[in-house]
Amino acid sequence: MTGKFLSLTAASFVVLLFTTTPFIAHHSEAAQFDTTKPVKVSGVVKKVEWMNPHIWFYIDVKDEKGNVTTWGFSGLPPGMAIRKGFTKDTLKVGETVVVQGFRAKDGSNNASGNILTFADGRQVFPGALELGTVPANKP
Amino acid sequence: MVMRKSVVAFFAVLPPVACMALFTQFSFSQDLGQVHEVCSPHEGRCLTIRPPRVPATLNWKMPRTRDGKPDFTGVYAGAGFNHQVGPNDTDTPIIRGFDAKIMPPTKPGGDAILFRPTTGDLKIDDPIALCLPYGFTSQIFSPYAQQWIQAPNHLVIRHEFMNNFSRVIPLDNRPHPTDLEPTWGGHSVGHWEGDTLVIDTVGLKEWWLDNPHPNGSLWHSDAAHVIERVKWVAPRVVSYEVAMDDPKIWTKPWTEQFHMVLHPTWELLEFVCNENDRCSQGNCVESDAQKKR
Repeated sequence: MTGKFLSLTAASFVVLLFTTTPFIAHHSEAAQFDTTKPVKVSGVVKKVEWMNPHIWFYIDVKDEKGNVTTWGFSGLPPGMAIRKGFTKDTLKVGETVVVQGFRAKDGSNNASGNILTFADGRQVFPGALELGTVPANKP
Repeated sequence: MVMRKSVVAFFAVLPPVACMALFTQFSFSQDLGQVHEVCSPHEGRCLTIRPPRVPATLNWKMPRTRDGKPDFTGVYAGAGFNHQVGPNDTDTPIIRGFDAKIMPPTKPGGDAILFRPTTGDLKIDDPIALCLPYGFTSQIFSPYAQQWIQAPNHLVIRHEFMNNFSRVIPLDNRPHPTDLEPTWGGHSVGHWEGDTLVIDTVGLKEWWLDNPHPNGSLWHSDAAHVIERVKWVAPRVVSYEVAMDDPKIWTKPWTEQFHMVLHPTWELLEFVCNENDRCSQGNCVESDAQKKR
């Protein structure tokens, strides 16, 4: 039910986020993440940091040789996440998920965590805000 | 016979009348305003603003304090949300600013204060990225909860963002001090005009006017004089009007109206920006979770 609620309420934002709007978020995420470098990883949740100014969650990603890299993903601030139905129990350590976002500008294994897909196909949008658009036809 | 016909007629019209009454009571709703587009000056971002939709209620009474004043105590979604009043508290946080259409022309030199093209210096481009205050008037558009606590002679406004920024406003219409040192919150005094609370603010530091823009930032000057007018307009909905007079920027004052929606189920959370600002200025700090064992 929670997943359905999240999908419904956030579906309209994510279209904006990934099509018409450059990734410009609130707490200077435009300065932190590179919108030309989309990231999509699949792995196991290692840790969730439920802290300000934004939650962070960490995913252990295994490559073809079996080496594990821990990726960090930034989401919404805790207060905003809670009010959108994403609580600290939404994402559980040990769970397998797919995360999409944009890589940190310093090239480290950190990224914005915009779309989170669970093994059963449910999607939540821990990094999505309704941002509006920048009209391309303005003089 | 006439009596019997009257009884029959009564029972014939009763169901539709009852249905209409139920419909009026529980189903009819109204939008407080029009859906409209708001764009920021200087080719800023545009956003569609949806007005609160509220159910019609026949017996609503404005909340009042013991001394008879309108009572604004509670936790609100303010102007930084697209509102939808309903059982699921589905207000949506948005990133918006003041509407360029409402602003009058700028004075000579005013536009250079108002609009700062992106510089590369975050203190100008995006001070909140450095965990500096959002400040008033940006704070108006905070897409986080805000808590109003009203006492007979004071109003306290606590914002979740940034770092639980707070304003303590005396409601006795006392004069502003004449030797104010500009601050991020300025100096505010309030008074009542009937059921409208009027808050008058001066003494603001030259700082952000509203929110991040794609190609720069908007600022008010240290001469900004802001008057907020607040009144209940419907169950859970407060009209929040902002009058801006900044004689260093604009040729005349201007006013924009917003809504705040009361959220009885919300609580204000602690917000400490420096707690885990891991990628400040684009340089990420390795988390303990990422360190090799």
